[in-house]
Amino acid sequence: MKHILIGIAAILFSVLFYEQHIGLNLSIFSLATIAILVFYNPKAFKNRYTIVHAILYIATAIVVFMQHSYLSIIANCVAFFTLVGAVSEDKTSIYVCWLNGLYTSIAGFFHRNFEVDDDVEKVSLKKDIDVIHLTKLIGIPLVFIVVFILLYKNGNPMFNNLVSKISFEFINMQWVLFCVLGYYLFSNISKPIIVESATSADLNTKNELVKPDDVSEEKLKKEKQLGTTLLGLLNLLIVLYIITDIASLIIGEDTSAPTLSSLVHNGIYTLIASIVIAIVIILYFFRGNLNFYSENRTLKNLTFLWIFLNIILIALIAIKNQNYITSFGLTYKRIGVHIYILLTLVGLITTFLKVLNIKNMAFLFRRNTQIAFIVLILMSAINWDQTITVYNLKHANGFDVNYLINLSNRNAILLNDKKDVLNISESDKNRISAKYRTYMITLRQRDWQEWSYENFLIEDDNSNSE
Amino acid sequence: MHVVSNLAKSCLLATVIFWIIAGTDYMDIDMILVIFLSFIPIFFIATIVILGSIYVIFWLRVKNGFSKRQVYKTFYPYYAITAFGIAVFGIISSGFDIYIIAFFTSAFITTSQSWIWFAKEKQR
Repeated sequence: MKHILIGIAAILFSVLFYEQHIGLNLSIFSLATIAILVFYNPKAFKNRYTIVHAILYIATAIVVFMQHSYLSIIANCVAFFTLVGAVSEDKTSIYVCWLNGLYTSIAGFFHRNFEVDDDVEKVSLKKDIDVIHLTKLIGIPLVFIVVFILLYKNGNPMFNNLVSKISFEFINMQWVLFCVLGYYLFSNISKPIIVESATSADLNTKNELVKPDDVSEEKLKKEKQLGTTLLGLLNLLIVLYIITDIASLIIGEDTSAPTLSSLVHNGIYTLIASIVIAIVIILYFFRGNLNFYSENRTLKNLTFLWIFLNIILIALIAIKNQNYITSFGLTYKRIGVHIYILLTLVGLITTFLKVLNIKNMAFLFRRNTQIAFIVLILMSAINWDQTITVYNLKHANGFDVNYLINLSNRNAILLNDKKDVLNISESDKNRISAKYRTYMITLRQRDWQEWSYENFLIEDDNSNSE
Repeated sequence: MHVVSNLAKSCLLATVIFWIIAGTDYMDIDMILVIFLSFIPIFFIATIVILGSIYVIFWLRVKNGFSKRQVYKTFYPYYAITAFGIAVFGIISSGFDIYIIAFFTSAFITTSQSWIWFAKEKQR
């Protein structure tokens, strides 16, 4: 029964993906994956953590169908590895889940093959049926018969004619091999495995720092003095920088694109360097014993102040980026800056929590990777091409029509609807029409496996117009 | 460690997998000679890859007191993930050329099986 189910899933895999682009097939594959995982690992799905990951995986599968973007496909793959990893071991950090999920998917067969005790396996096989002997009995004569037929073909024209009439062209070997690949994949994930060294190390690492028995008071005092001096001076410096930055924002009147661009990009480079160094310095001082030193209050306060000032720095960069967007429109790079700002803010908050609650580095990695995973899934749910187009046409003071036309086809329908009310040249209108026509042809030429939500939309439009 | 038998089995396995996949594109009686001749480059590549990566890991770790089982469990997962990453990169870069797919698939399966053959040898 178990092999039959995987066999059916393998055939489904080939039907879905052989010579097809990604679309509805990935969503169906996701549902098949969950069915296989639930069937073979019912106990794992009684765990709330695993159920949450299964729901997230289904959500990404729906997003792939709705959005049909590269980001949604990446999010679906990451959610797949997370779910498989969670089924193999649900108490590990999310990055260990990714490792276990990836390892299970690509090498589960070999790992299980290694774990099998050959002697026990041989005995149990002989009890049922001698599979190896049966394979030899069919395989070896078959190989030799094929080789000899091929050799005899050249020796006798009548035999050659007879053999030439035998045709196996109705069998698509590549399709069959695709089935084998599907069988390999589903068989691998049916019994998830773990990378033992990484999983046990992760399970043994708690989030809290442990208070040491032996602490050198003198050494800690010196380290605290160094930290206080350094953070005090850095706080002064960042205050000075923020004051000048606010002043330049208020006074600055030149809002030309190059000036704003340079402001935002310079700000970002400063931000990258300062936040990374800030977090490294904080982690260095609060890596161990200083967390438990009774006179660390000043150092902690200076650290919290520095984190707060870095958050102000982030807010200033966000304001500059938003000004840039309002004046010259939304682009992928500018969205990227906002996402980077969000992730940096998260990094600072988790660093703050680490110092406040005396947590270790594992806590930081765990929380930050979890949040990055959630951000990836949320971002993949948005049709960015459509969002950029809508924003630039409705809210931006100015926009680059070339940029909008060169985006992916996912804004083609919207651009085509709006082209007549836009103040753009005739050649641009023609380019938009051409983009729309190409997209419609692409949508209609898709096989059912490649369908996305937009296929149903144009079907509705067609039936309404008829 | 039985390096020679491992290399011989790996070479045979790699050749079979390579031609099963590559043969789906085109196969003819005249190619039998090519298939037999392909043993030579496949043997060289398998020898270099297996001796240069898998055998070295086993040799170094077993010498330092690790059991073969420990070596497999510690290093194989990372080896498999790296090999898979290289294979996927190579296949995508080639634009899904059938011979490149055959090459990387046979290399991945053969090296994975070679790990098992080394790990399952009886330790002295």
